[in-house]
Amino acid sequence: MAEEFNTESMLSVFLYESDQLLEKLEGIILEKQDADCFDDSDINDIFRVMHTIKGSSGVMMYENITKASHKLEDIFYYLRESHPEDVPHMELVEKVLAVSDFITSELDKIKNGETPDGDESKLVEDLDEFLSRIKGEIKKQGIRLPKENKQVEPNQFYIMPVAEENSHFYRIVIHYKNDTQMSNIRAYSATYALKGVAEDLLYTPEDILSNEASADTILVEGFHMYLQTKASKEEVLKLIDSSEAESIDFDEITAAEYGQDLVHLGRPDVPIVINLDDNAQPAKETKAAPMPGDYVVKTKEAGKGKTLAKNQPKQQSIISVNVEKMDSLMDLIGELVIAEAVVLQNPDLKVPGLELTNFQKASAQLSKITTELQEVIMSMRMMPLSNTFQKMRRIVFDVSRKLGKDIELEVVGENTEVDKNIIEHISDPLMHLVRNSVDHGIEENAEQRTAAGKPAKGKITLEAKNEGGKVYISVRDDGKGLDKEKLYQKALDNGLIENKPISEFQDKEIYRFITLPGFSTKEVVTEYSGRGVGMDVVVKNIQDIGGRLDITSELGHGSEMTLVIPLTLAIINGIIVRVGDSPFVIETASIKQFVRLGEDALIQEPNGEEYVVLRGDCFPFIRLNEKYELPNSQTSIDDGIVVVLEHEGRQVCVLIDSLLQEQEIVVKPIPPYVKKVKGISGCTQLGDGSIALILDIGGLILDEERR
Amino acid sequence: MKILLAEDDFASRKFMDKMLSQYGECDVMVDGEEAVDAFMMALEDEEPYDLACLDVMMPVMDGYQVLKAIRDIEAQRGIPKNKRLKVIMTTALNEERNVKMAFELGCEAYAGKPIDVEKFEKVLEKLGLL
Repeated sequence: MAEEFNTESMLSVFLYESDQLLEKLEGIILEKQDADCFDDSDINDIFRVMHTIKGSSGVMMYENITKASHKLEDIFYYLRESHPEDVPHMELVEKVLAVSDFITSELDKIKNGETPDGDESKLVEDLDEFLSRIKGEIKKQGIRLPKENKQVEPNQFYIMPVAEENSHFYRIVIHYKNDTQMSNIRAYSATYALKGVAEDLLYTPEDILSNEASADTILVEGFHMYLQTKASKEEVLKLIDSSEAESIDFDEITAAEYGQDLVHLGRPDVPIVINLDDNAQPAKETKAAPMPGDYVVKTKEAGKGKTLAKNQPKQQSIISVNVEKMDSLMDLIGELVIAEAVVLQNPDLKVPGLELTNFQKASAQLSKITTELQEVIMSMRMMPLSNTFQKMRRIVFDVSRKLGKDIELEVVGENTEVDKNIIEHISDPLMHLVRNSVDHGIEENAEQRTAAGKPAKGKITLEAKNEGGKVYISVRDDGKGLDKEKLYQKALDNGLIENKPISEFQDKEIYRFITLPGFSTKEVVTEYSGRGVGMDVVVKNIQDIGGRLDITSELGHGSEMTLVIPLTLAIINGIIVRVGDSPFVIETASIKQFVRLGEDALIQEPNGEEYVVLRGDCFPFIRLNEKYELPNSQTSIDDGIVVVLEHEGRQVCVLIDSLLQEQEIVVKPIPPYVKKVKGISGCTQLGDGSIALILDIGGLILDEERR
Repeated sequence: MKILLAEDDFASRKFMDKMLSQYGECDVMVDGEEAVDAFMMALEDEEPYDLACLDVMMPVMDGYQVLKAIRDIEAQRGIPKNKRLKVIMTTALNEERNVKMAFELGCEAYAGKPIDVEKFEKVLEKLGLL
């Protein structure tokens, strides 16, 4: 598999270049969609893009792409040569997008290892009709038709090897019936049966034959297999003995997901590519071109394989790095940060009367370097959001045209950089939010807008910014805004909330109703939104990466949805507190305030639940010492400190003994041999070498609410 | 049609020979030098080949060298472009730089192994050989 990443195969170069060209094309089109016509340089650019795609797809022998791009090239050839006036601009824009969509979908098929078999004839017919209209127009305007655009057939061809790309990737989970005897042996026979068709097979637990205890694990967690094969789903299922299986989860996944899953399974032999160049431009590989004579096979010695005369020297500005190495570098830097704390906060330094001036200077230098080091490793994984935002432009264009709305999209801060993993996770949620804004946010028609005293053209602003270790991506529209009454009524009707009067909900809470599963305020379901699935999925996806969705709105003036996502998950800024003899870490961002309260602020319910009243508001109260059974701690609220914590708009108070300090915290997972503890998300090592547990505020609140 | 096949690997040779034989008479060479010799001989006898399928990785001379030699000889003898020998490279090397170089050296097509027989035939058609 590593091969595929290291070498630029002919196919991947073709796909990459075509993607780039199409992106450029869409950029031109969407920028000029509202203009009256394309100017000369645009026409030239589009002509050249189509020409290149036509040529390369010809060489690759994808005839339908060739034909479609050829027709469009023809149209732009006439535009370029004759400069006719009164070309229906909007129609032309649509034609170009139709062709670009067609090619994109064919390219997607190729990427998925399918045959690009889309039928181009309808599209070509459309284009032909359009072209003859333009030609007629040209004649009418008295301009002489230029010579026919000569079609040069490609005279060189590339015949793709068969079957190389056709592997399927499956994730298979077998759940055996609870009383299955020796499920490990059954699992083994399943792997054995699959070995015949598998190109690659991985499973967990791994020690199914040598470790009998694995049978229990299989019964509880299911038997997970990752399979790369050319066989179809049906063929694979036939091979698996399903007599004792309760259910078999069968997912086809992409090669990329497969690679990721392998990494999770602890076999990270799939490298990721990092761009070491600061320029976002993906640098072209500068591997030396091969020369005739490089591939002379040396005379074979008996029994030995062939060797090549010369190994290619590799010089390139992009290198692929094994994920494992990246992760271990990340870990090492984490360790370094801890080690730094151990040195700088060493108890030996606390001896009174020490002269530490030089030490302080040196340690400041050390801190600076470790901080920079952290930033560099982060930046290695960073990518700008511009590509994601580009997609949004297209969505706004498509949806607004389909719905007959006139909408302008403003993009701010598209160069904001985010961890690559996070980009992958936010693309879909963001798309959903943008669609919602176009569909629900902006008024149905221009009359409604002018009546409300707003410009006829709707406006959606997509903004990204980077603030305090978090990325804020907001989708803002100047439409009708959210109607609290309606939201409340709807949620009530659908039985999604308790029967409380509307005055008992905060605005934020009411807006958040739209993220509840099964909620949709739109009476009419449109093609794009309003099915009530989606917003809950959006929120779930965002929460999965530790982010949240904020909704604000003003009735009649528009609404704003903001995704708040952490820049990174590995190093956080935390405050260390002490309860009894145990240090705990609380993420600084989730702390609202520290207060000292007296017994009089405490309310005790008969069932043992406790609340504190703070400036008229009532918060659930958690005593960490009781929750985690910690001895030697303050039991009276008078002697301890109350910390108000917030997570996604919900607040909770916890009682601690004292505050120690604030510092950068390297989050380490709780080792698997420790049972999962509610309200703890990880641990870290402190300067004095002791281990501190990191409080999981969300989990704490959830646990409290469940009780 | 006269076909020249240069391929050092036995299994590939067997396969290619079988496939190509449906289209015409196929001469099989096992290294690059032999292939150039065969090409020269056919020219001398005024019975030139119509198609050559060249493996890239071969002993003595690799496919690129053979292709270059063939094009050089043709240029030297003043053979016009449309009368040139049609060359299809057949190889498992599918990196873009390999393909590009072969195109620059003047091959008509570049077929990755395992060969897609259907497309291969289509190319023969496009080259006017069928």
